[in-house]
This record gives sequence, C-alpha cells and structure tokens, in this order.
Amino acid sequence: MRVAGWLVPESHRCEWTAEWMGELEHSWRAQQRTGNTGSLARAALVLRCFGAFSDALWLRRRHGEDAMFSNDLTYAVRTLLRRPGFSMIVILTLALGIGANTAIFSVVNAVLLRNLPYEDPDRLMMLWGVPTDGDSAKVARWTSYPDFIDLRNQSVSFDQLAAAGIPDVTLTGPNLEPTRIQGAVVTANLFPTLGVRPAKGRAMLPEEEREAAPRVAVVSHALWQGRLAADPNVVGRVITLDGVQHTVIGVMQRGFQYPNDAQLWIPLVPDRNAQRRGTHNLRVVGRLKPGMTRERAESDVATIARRLEEQYPEDNAKRSARLEPMRDAIVGNVRTPLLVLLGAVGLVLLIGCTNIANLFLARAATREREVAVRTALGAGRGQIVRQWMTESVLLALVGGACGLLVAHWGLQALMAAAPDTIPRAGEVALDKTVLAFVVSISLLTGIAFGVIPALGMSRNLTINSLKDGGRGATAGLARTRLRKVLVVSEVAFALVLVIGAALLIKSFWRLQQVDPGFDPERLLTVQLQLPQARYERWQHVTGFYSELKQKLASTPGARSVAIAFEHPLSEGWTSSFGIAGRQPSVQGLEPEARVRPVSPGYFRTVGVSLLKGRDITDRDVAGAPGVVIINDAFARRHFPGEDPIGKRIERGAWWPDMPNSFEIVGVVADERFLGLQTAADPATYFPHAQFPMSDMYLLVRTRADAAAFTAMVRREVWALDRDLPIENIRTMESILGESVAQPRFNTSLLGLFAGVALLLAAIGIYGVLSFMAAQRTNEIGIRMALGAQRSSVVRLVVGQGMLLALLGVALGLLAAFWLTRILSTLLFQVSTTDPGIFGGGALLLSTVALIAAYLPARRASRVDPVTALRYE
Amino acid sequence: MRASPRLTYPTAVVLHAVSRGIRYGFDIIDASGLQSGTVYPVLRRLEDAGLLRSSWERVHTAREEQRPPRRYYQLTGAGAETVKQALRRYPGLGHTLGRRGITQPSPA
Repeated sequence: MRVAGWLVPESHRCEWTAEWMGELEHSWRAQQRTGNTGSLARAALVLRCFGAFSDALWLRRRHGEDAMFSNDLTYAVRTLLRRPGFSMIVILTLALGIGANTAIFSVVNAVLLRNLPYEDPDRLMMLWGVPTDGDSAKVARWTSYPDFIDLRNQSVSFDQLAAAGIPDVTLTGPNLEPTRIQGAVVTANLFPTLGVRPAKGRAMLPEEEREAAPRVAVVSHALWQGRLAADPNVVGRVITLDGVQHTVIGVMQRGFQYPNDAQLWIPLVPDRNAQRRGTHNLRVVGRLKPGMTRERAESDVATIARRLEEQYPEDNAKRSARLEPMRDAIVGNVRTPLLVLLGAVGLVLLIGCTNIANLFLARAATREREVAVRTALGAGRGQIVRQWMTESVLLALVGGACGLLVAHWGLQALMAAAPDTIPRAGEVALDKTVLAFVVSISLLTGIAFGVIPALGMSRNLTINSLKDGGRGATAGLARTRLRKVLVVSEVAFALVLVIGAALLIKSFWRLQQVDPGFDPERLLTVQLQLPQARYERWQHVTGFYSELKQKLASTPGARSVAIAFEHPLSEGWTSSFGIAGRQPSVQGLEPEARVRPVSPGYFRTVGVSLLKGRDITDRDVAGAPGVVIINDAFARRHFPGEDPIGKRIERGAWWPDMPNSFEIVGVVADERFLGLQTAADPATYFPHAQFPMSDMYLLVRTRADAAAFTAMVRREVWALDRDLPIENIRTMESILGESVAQPRFNTSLLGLFAGVALLLAAIGIYGVLSFMAAQRTNEIGIRMALGAQRSSVVRLVVGQGMLLALLGVALGLLAAFWLTRILSTLLFQVSTTDPGIFGGGALLLSTVALIAAYLPARRASRVDPVTALRYE
Repeated sequence: MRASPRLTYPTAVVLHAVSRGIRYGFDIIDASGLQSGTVYPVLRRLEDAGLLRSSWERVHTAREEQRPPRRYYQLTGAGAETVKQALRRYPGLGHTLGRRGITQPSPA
C-alpha cells in the first residue's frame, strides 16, 4: 500500500491510504472472525491490493501529475537504452524466468484452479466404497446398482445422485468401420446432476431406463464430428452398438467427457447382472443440497452403508462409503507434482531476480554521482526512488512480454512432453487468468528488484559524493550487506532445488532398477473383444483364439504367441477363492487373488520364469481336470513353508461343463500388475480353455521390431473375422514407458530447474565477489605493497565468498529438510532426508561456490600494487 | 455538478450496487465480481460527477472493532436518476449482484 501511496498526489495521499487501510483491516478482521485466514484467503487479499495501483495511477492522472510520470518514463527508457548490455541481460533473465513460470502456471490454472466445466461444481461429490477395516482388497471403490438405488432413495443430503458405468461398445453401421469406443451407461439424471445439457437434441428421460423403452444414445461432440462425419441430421439417426440398434437423440457440448473419456452415453437399463448387489461397477456422483456440508452428507451415506452392511453381509461386509469433491477425484494425483513444479520454477525466478537485484545494486553504486547531482538540483529521495522503480518496472514489463512468448513455446513443448495421465490437459491455454498472472508477476519482480537498491541508497548523500567522483567507500556499506544477504539466500534456494531434484532423480533411478518380472522387449499387445452376438458359446470363443494363435505362431516374424486376459502391468480384476481342506472363511471375507486366464505359452511369451512344477499345456482343456498356476506372492501368502504343488483351489464355475476345483500345478515368478512402484499381489493363472473369457489380449513376442508386426496381426485377425474391431495395439515397451511417464516428467523438469538454479547461483556468487574484490582494489594494493603474498590475497577473497556460501548452504539444508517432505508421495524407496543426497548437494554447492569465488580472487591477487596505489 | 461520466457497464454495475445498499468499496467488489482496480476509479469518477457522495463511518464503531474507520458511498438524487437510465440500458443488471458481502453502513 505504501508503494502505491507514493503514486497518489500528496493532497489526497492521507485520505486515500486511510480508505484502503480501512477496507483491508475490515476484510482481514472479518476473515479472522470466520476462521478463514488460510494462505488462499491471504493471497486473495494481497491480489486485491494490486488494484490500489490502478486506483493510485488514475488519481494521479486525474490531478494532472502525469507529466512527471511520463518524464520518469522517458528518462528510464533513455537510461536503459544507454546501457543495452545491462538491459538485455535483465530482460533475458526475466523472459526465461517469467516464461517458465507462466508455462507451468497455465497448467496449474487449467488443471487445479479453474472450476470444473459444470454448474456450481463445488457441490459435486464422488461417492466411493471404502473398507471399514482399511483392507481395500475386498471392497471395490465403485458401487453396485442395488446399493446405488438404496443410497438414492434413503439419502437426505443430495439434490441428485447419479450413476455411470463405463463399458466399451462396438459402433457399427452402414458406411462405418467397426470401432470400439469408450461408452457410458448412465442414469438419466446424470446430465442434470452435473448441470450440463446437450448442444443438439435432448438428454435421456427417466422412462428410457426401462427394458421395454426404445434404445437411445447421446453422442459426444468429438464422435459426431469424427466417426459420424458431422452429419447435420445426426439427431434421429440410427447407429448400431454391440449389434443393437440405437437412435441418436442428442449431441453433447464440445469437451464434455464424463466419466473418463466417454464418447457416447446410453441409459442404464438394469439387466440381471446389474441387479446383483455384489457387482460393484458403477461410479456414483451426487450434487449436495444447497448449504449441505460434505461432513454431514458423509455421515448420512455412512449410516446408509452401515445399514446395507447389516442387511447384506455376503456382498457388503466391511463396506462403508466416503465422499470426495469431484475436482479432487479428477485432479488428485497430479496436484502435488504440479505444485512442486510451480514452487520450483518460482524459486528459479527468485534466484534470477536475486541476480538482477545484484546487478541493480552494483549499478546503484556507480550511479551515486548521478544521484548526488540530482539531489543537489533539488530532487527528493522519493523522486529518485520512483525513478529507479520506473526503470525496474519497465524492464520487468518488457521481460514479462518476452516471457509470454517464451511461455507460448514452452507450453507447447511442455504439453508434448507431459504424460497422458494429466487430467483436463485439453483445457490448458494462455488465457485471461494467465495474462493477469504474467502482469502481476512482472510488476512484483520489477518492484522487488527496484526496491532493493533503493533501500540500500545512502540516506546522507553528502557533497563528498560530488567532490571525489563517487568513490564513497562508506556509502556502499549498506549495499554491501544487502548484496551478501542476496548471495546467501541465492545459495540456499539453489541448494533446496538441487536436493529436491536429486531426490527425484534417485527415486526415478530406483524405479528403473525394479525388475518388472517380465521382458518388455519386442512384445506386442493387441486387445480383442469378441461380440457376444456372434460368439454365443464358449466353444466359439476358444475355437477362434486357438486358431488365431496357431496361424500367427506359424508366421516367420513371431517367436512365440499367447492369449491372455490382460497383459503385464495391467490391473485386471480380482476374485475370491477357497483352498481345499482348509476351514472355509466367513462369507464375504474370503481371500482374494488376481484372476488371469492365459493360453499355453503365456509365461514363455512374456518372459515370466516358471519357478516350480509345470506350465499350462494344450491338454488342459474343458473336459480335463482343472489346473491353475499361482505366482510366488500367492505361494508366500497362502502356503508359507509348504509346497503348494498338488494343493487345490476352489471357486464357483462361471460356465457350465467347466471345472470348479483347480489343482495347483506350477508356481511362477511375480510379474508386476499395478505399475513398477507396487509389488505383485497374489495371482492365479487359469488355462483359458477352462476359463473361456471372450475379451482377451493377444501377446506376440516378435523376432524383429514389435510395432512392425502390427499389419500381420490385422491381416490374420481379419482373415478369421472381418467385422472384428482391433483396438489398442501397443508394444509392451511403450506401456512400460507410459507407466513411468509421470515420474520421468517430474524428474526431468525439476532437474532442468535445478540445473538452471545452480548456474544462476554460480553467476550470482561470481558477480558479487568480483564486484567486492574490485571495490577492494586499493586495500589489496596496500596489503601487497606491505608484503602480503598472493596466496594470502586469494585466501582473503575466497574466504569471504566461502563464508557467504557456507552460510547459504547451512540455511539451504535447513530449508530442504523442512520442504522435501512435500515430495514424500512422489518418492520411491528414497527417504525425503536421504543423508547422501543432502551431503552431496551441500558439497556440490560448496564446490561451485569455491570455483565462482576463486576466479575473482585470482584476478585480485594479480593486482599490481603500484597501479592500485597510484589510482588511490 | 460536472459532466456525467460515460455509462459503461462497470460504471452501471457499481452505481446499481450502491443503489442496492452495498456501500463500501470492498463490498461492491465482492458483490459485483469486478476487480478492485476497476471499482475504485469508477467510484472516484462517480463522486466527481456528483452521482455519489462519500462519508466516513463513525469512529467509535470502528474503534469497537479495533480497526480504522471505513469510507462509504451514497447515491445522490442525480445518481438515482442515472441508476434508472442504467437499468434501461442494461436490463440484465438486476441479476449481476451476488449475495456476498452486503453490509449496511452505520450512520455518520
């Protein structure tokens, strides 16, 4: 406020300040009363203060004082043009700093700050199933249809509660290539719950959720523009989904894609499978009643969940419910990494500003004579400070404008490199909020490094400054102290960044060292889903797959071929089982294991080694005795110290004529299912012929490049079934790469920032020590004339620099110790206070400081005493 | 009485807010959603034009809350006329004000 106050004409200044202070104090007290004093509330208040500048400038203009301001501006432009090198360095540093900040902020703005594109989004809550005992293996996050209906009928906290399932559907039709698309079966109230309406046509009606109702579908804007060729008469058009005809009744607005990346919405018509309380496959979203708090609503749904648990223990044992704001559910995983990156890039800008402030300080020293002349001619301290501020703010604004260009390119590079898992990535743009951010950050930096040299300005500008040409050794004392403070903080900031980046790099290295349990090289994965309409009986399914497998295996490019439900690094699903001869578990609390039906040759194809027993063979078919292979995690969990071979696993039969008791015939090594970070959990591999699921993956280990084999796969699949959609053809290496894309992205960005910070800090130390050494030229000359050795001069200058650097290192270590805990969720097998990294970081910074200090020291030691003294 | 300021949309919103009893600067910002850098210059222009009049709240009210007094703005007769004009020109104006931050000033 004080800074803005200088701009206000003196006649109005008192009243103006009183008005703004009155409002600010009142707001602050009101916030204190309501307990709303968090950092967001403070930031909002600070942002509001920026308006004071506009107000002050307006008043200034109004009272005819703009002439002085424009004088300042002209003078500033002339001064800066006179020293183009200085101006360029400042502008370049700022452009890079502000540009990088703006690019990251644009992502933060779109992903974390901007409201979800729904009506009143703060009232939208996701409802998740949670275990009452913390063991999440048994309790699915999603909700079953009967539970959903009970929740909807009994809850008193919601205006609306809607459910959605996300099956893939095959879209076929006249002039349409068969395509698998992400569909959604939704209750008719989903769109009203979110507060969205179709852009064309109408939404679904509740009566369309009935079995007898005509089949209808709403399509996404993208699907309409793409596969449906932007047909202007799309509403009313008939499309075929999984072999059933549906009439298109509406097109959603561009960009709408809830849940997940849904392209098509059809009414949820509860069939026999959906009526089962044990099938937890719906995600539920609710709109809280106005004024309802999340806590009250949560206790409401938890009460209903408890009631359901008592009524249906076999399906709902230990099952409770939790609410999560929809925004958190969508952006939860990326919040910490994004904020860490924003913090890091902010620190880089701060270090850049510190360097600039140092440059300004150095220049202020050389401008003392100019200041003295202006003071002698009647300029007040305030006027000189204002003049300097005008220069720094001008530089900052030009830097900010260039930064915007940098941000534009940086953002493109950033989004190209960003992992696909960043939600709302489509909304990232340089918009009004980002522009406001750039202007604020430019003004802030301009004010920051303009104020610092002004603060260091001598209060007693004496006639001496005029007399002896501005040598003024004492006048610079305050500035020297400031400069030291800047160097210390710069080293501290850089160390924090270096330690943070090193922790992430070590964590990423650890992640790369994890043995995934399979061999990702030259392994192709292809998703195949046989439509039930044409593959009605399991014999059709197994027949198709074994024929496909045989045909592909005989092609020269394939080393081995297998069929499997899911591929390595894919979650799949779990199911409960019993172990023959053991006490049966309480109903609803049976153990769970991953279920992976696989064909013979799966383990050889993906490179999982057989530890014990035998592999699945072609003889393990429908009529033969049931067999199963377990993984090592299963053996360790359920048969510790025992030989599992020959034991039996029991589970219900899903198909008639299929076995329901399976003998364990082999144990295989663990392959990872949930990403490299998570150790494998117990898994059971059944012969596909005894567990004939129709949606499977084709896995091919190729002799040459896996991606080149794609055409062969298409040809062979379509030779067997011309109407089968082939989706999701990916190499295992790209799947593995994607699974670590997020940590790789974080690590490379933070590494880049830390590198820049280190460089800037080195430049800062070098610049300050050079300047201080140059100022001490006379003193060093005298010392050397009196017999001082060169080495002692080097020690003197280096010692001075190292003292500052070590102080910075100590502060940096403390700050890092406190700050790195933010990284804890991003680290894998690395402690946030890893002593090696803290020690190494400190050593690195000290070494860099030593080099940066040695160069000016060496120069100082070469001073010729005669020259130095003659100068004196 | 000086020349009336141009009746831009932000000017109309601020004037309308004051006519609805929202009289403090920050309350107008809260209710209108406009930026502080917009609202204050508009208030000053309106006061210069004689459409608004400003006063300070009573010192003892402020002292009771241990804060400095606040300045508030009131509509003049000419201002009330201009609000009518504003409502004619921007018929949606009636829906622009949120419910937040509406407080009545204590008499001076």
